[in-house]
Amino acid sequence: MTATTLAAPARRRLPLQLIGGWEVGLIVFMVLLYIAGVFINPKFFGQTDAFSAILRDTARYGVMAAGMTFVIINKDLDLSVGSTLGLVATVFSICFSKSYYDLGIGPSVIAAVLVGLGVGLVNGFFVTVLRVPSFITTLTMLFIGRGFVLGLTGGKTISYSEKALEAPWFFQIGETNALGFNNQILIFLAVTIVGMIVLAKTRWGYETYATGGNEMASIYAGIPTRRVRMRGYVLSALCATLAGLMNVAQDKGITSQYGQGAELIVIAAVIVGGASILGGRGRLLGGALGAILVVLIDKVLREGIPMTRTVKVGGVDMQVQGMAQLPPGAVPAFLGLILLIAVLIEPWIIRRNVFPRLWARLTGRPLPPIIEVGGVAIEGAQTKGSSASDSAMRARGPIGHFLARRDAAAIVLAILLWCVGLYLRPDFWGSIDNSFNLMLSFTEVGLLSIGMTYVIANGDIDLSVGSVLALSAATCAFLMKQMGFDPWTAVFIALMAGAAAGLVNALLTVGFGLPAFVATLGMFYMARGIGAWMTAGRQLSSFSETFNLLGRKLIDALTYFGIAPARGTLVYDIAAALSVQTIFMIVVAILAGIVLAKTPFGQMVYATGGNRRAAEYAGINSGRVRAISLVFSALCAACAGVIYVAFLRSFNPSAGQLRELDAIAAVIIGGGSIFGGYGTVLGALAGAAVIALIRALLSLQLILSNGQSFVMPQHWVNVFIGLILIVAVVGDIWLRQGDLAGTIRRRFFSRRAPAHGAARHV
Amino acid sequence: MSDHSRPTPFIEMRNISKAFGPVQALRDINLTLAPGEILGLVGDNSAGKSTLMKVMTGAYQRDSGDVLVNGRETHFKSPHESRVDGIEMIYQDFALCGNMDIAQNIFLGRWPRRGLFVDRRRMYEEADQVLKRLKVDVNSVFQKVESLSGGRQQSVAIARAISFDPKVVVLDEPTANLSVMATERLLETMSELKKQGVAQIIISHRLTDIFEVGDRIMVMKRGQNVGDRYIAHTTEQEVLELIVSGTPETALTADQALESRAA
Repeated sequence: MTATTLAAPARRRLPLQLIGGWEVGLIVFMVLLYIAGVFINPKFFGQTDAFSAILRDTARYGVMAAGMTFVIINKDLDLSVGSTLGLVATVFSICFSKSYYDLGIGPSVIAAVLVGLGVGLVNGFFVTVLRVPSFITTLTMLFIGRGFVLGLTGGKTISYSEKALEAPWFFQIGETNALGFNNQILIFLAVTIVGMIVLAKTRWGYETYATGGNEMASIYAGIPTRRVRMRGYVLSALCATLAGLMNVAQDKGITSQYGQGAELIVIAAVIVGGASILGGRGRLLGGALGAILVVLIDKVLREGIPMTRTVKVGGVDMQVQGMAQLPPGAVPAFLGLILLIAVLIEPWIIRRNVFPRLWARLTGRPLPPIIEVGGVAIEGAQTKGSSASDSAMRARGPIGHFLARRDAAAIVLAILLWCVGLYLRPDFWGSIDNSFNLMLSFTEVGLLSIGMTYVIANGDIDLSVGSVLALSAATCAFLMKQMGFDPWTAVFIALMAGAAAGLVNALLTVGFGLPAFVATLGMFYMARGIGAWMTAGRQLSSFSETFNLLGRKLIDALTYFGIAPARGTLVYDIAAALSVQTIFMIVVAILAGIVLAKTPFGQMVYATGGNRRAAEYAGINSGRVRAISLVFSALCAACAGVIYVAFLRSFNPSAGQLRELDAIAAVIIGGGSIFGGYGTVLGALAGAAVIALIRALLSLQLILSNGQSFVMPQHWVNVFIGLILIVAVVGDIWLRQGDLAGTIRRRFFSRRAPAHGAARHV
Repeated sequence: MSDHSRPTPFIEMRNISKAFGPVQALRDINLTLAPGEILGLVGDNSAGKSTLMKVMTGAYQRDSGDVLVNGRETHFKSPHESRVDGIEMIYQDFALCGNMDIAQNIFLGRWPRRGLFVDRRRMYEEADQVLKRLKVDVNSVFQKVESLSGGRQQSVAIARAISFDPKVVVLDEPTANLSVMATERLLETMSELKKQGVAQIIISHRLTDIFEVGDRIMVMKRGQNVGDRYIAHTTEQEVLELIVSGTPETALTADQALESRAA
């Protein structure tokens, strides 16, 4: 025993040495993939131009990957690059275009760069100074940016190919140069080389590796880690800015879709390039090669594969020779899968010595040992908010006790917002119609936030609820319309599809130890992609009326069964304001609320979220608890998906978009903590009510004094919801957990004599 | 060896070895613990103190050697299995859930239930009793653990351990994060536990604390035992010398040391 362990160091290949061969492996893989591409699709990949075209399209992603490499080595994540690209391109276009501000090229570029810089600074500020987790900050930024793009362009395309002739030097960026390749490739090369030098040879690079490797140690060593992480975000945003400018230079115009989903390709590229999602490891060359590889895969998927398919035409099966092309919406499903596989390679293939062990097994030599890391999981250490004061202990009286609850603010806010609505539109707000609509939007957010409460209380996060909603809705609609399933089987299978998505989430987080936000981010793309794939190009509507009852008013259901109360009675009014789905949601909420608050399982959820290690020591199977929560959350989302189809009587690919944001915001407003350990179902429902009310208030038609009416466009509402989420998270971290008010009060009191006025001012 | 002068040990670890990859953390190490005894475990960093304790509680699996509890050979797969045999470990960071209150933490993972639900009244009553038995004062069992000071948090951790009615409590660096006052209180608590017949093992760097409450002290070095002394018959100076220059070859058990001293 001792002999083998002692001899081990000489034979053992360190993971670092293996990773040194990573880039070579990537290149080999890429060549093979390209050859495969030529083989299966000679029409596209056989051309000499194709190689240049792939490199040109890679250039933008490669530039963003350079910035992202810094962020990921810092142990952060930037989900906002795609929307930064879009925003920068939009700002440039609006400044430059004749139909908007018609500025010169100089000011337009400056405005674009300033916007990009601003995004980077804001990201950095929230993550480093306000300590908001990076995925929440940048996810919110993603949606806010996207909302701005839609709001600024109004969803329209902007084009300025004529005016572009005035500034040939700028638009030359997007052109092919005298040497026969696109100038963007040149920029890509330059950025990669400069980035490689910075990362490998300068203090900036060393500081980055140190910060990502062990932030605490870096702080002790005097490295300004905040500035380092801030720098990462600014670099990432500036790279996205450059990519955005390259994009407008090439296309001489924009659509509102610019940069959509780019963050997925960029993050996948950096991870495929050998960086670790847990920070401290990664190289720019790898990121650049990864970008080429991922774009190549993207191209292979999009260009299609010639193959024989059986297609149903008019009820007859026909063999069709053609290109099996993925619908555009389905591509993210594969990219999400690639991202997840890439994330798993380092901990499960390299650290576990899989290939050397396999080789040894084949050659019959003794197996090299699995590198034991002393029980260190691949998850990062849980970050905890600073400890809160126990305000519940100081509270007096029933009102004091109520206000000391973490969910008090949400309940008060929900009531206040309702009163605001009543004040603004007294004629309409209290009506049955409006109440019905309010309850309806409340139901969807509420249902998602019930499941999310469990996940967040567990210290995890589920970014995939909106996509799982879409997946289950698509499954349900597809099965009923396309496959002719009866409604109940279809509903059952749709719920199973949602649960399966939850199981995959659970397997990745609990089984493979991925951070929940990475696993569910993968599912975020995969579930929506699969849903889009299933329903692509199909009109899925008009289902059986029994099924539609799931989304109808209670009164309709009662009428259907012939037990409707008489018109004009109170029961009738209530039945007209309530819908079947609201009742379903309330039943789920009561059950889930009781389980969370009163049963040992609920206590296990809180214990796991509070301190997972302590829970493990206490004999709680925290993995099982987390898995159940993730599956439950996905099931809630799946229910919401079925209800969505029943209510709208059709499936819309945008189902559930932005809903993950709503649900997370609802839970956080309702007293949950983004670091886990807190959250109640009642609070989450109150939070959901707040979200639903804000959405309703913002889209309320206001009659202005001059008789005109005003409605806020939906894009701006989304921007606003994003802001609310970030404010809720910051408020939770600094007011509830950090007890900022208490700190200020104490500081105030210690400086001056205790006075009644002082407390009121803070 | 003169075993007649000592009661039969509650725990006996024989020839324990444990390696982490190429690092040999423990090498042929022995440890005994009598009922009601307070044993101090000292040594430099990486001497293997915590590893030895984790092997004892089943948090780590030994490569070779035997662990006997009450004369019976055991193979604990996890700390939960050793808990059944009356062994409790209090971790350096206390392993508590800050978001839950004191009573919930004391009954972490085994909350009393009535039907499907947690029996809150019984939980708070019993938590109160445990704290009283320990003679520690906390304001209220309803207080959230994250709002407690380090010393109080440790009291909760000890109360949690005591609530299992253990025979042995292992304290990993119990005084490392405590103020002077809190340390005093902890040492009182430990004496109180000893009176109730609970054996304890303290892993500590602070010899003073061990000399105040301990019965016996064991010195470890690079995964091996380099000496064992009765507190009553040794000095801090001697123990320090063992830590610095002791070797496994010159190691004496406490009884041998006592005999050679008498001679």
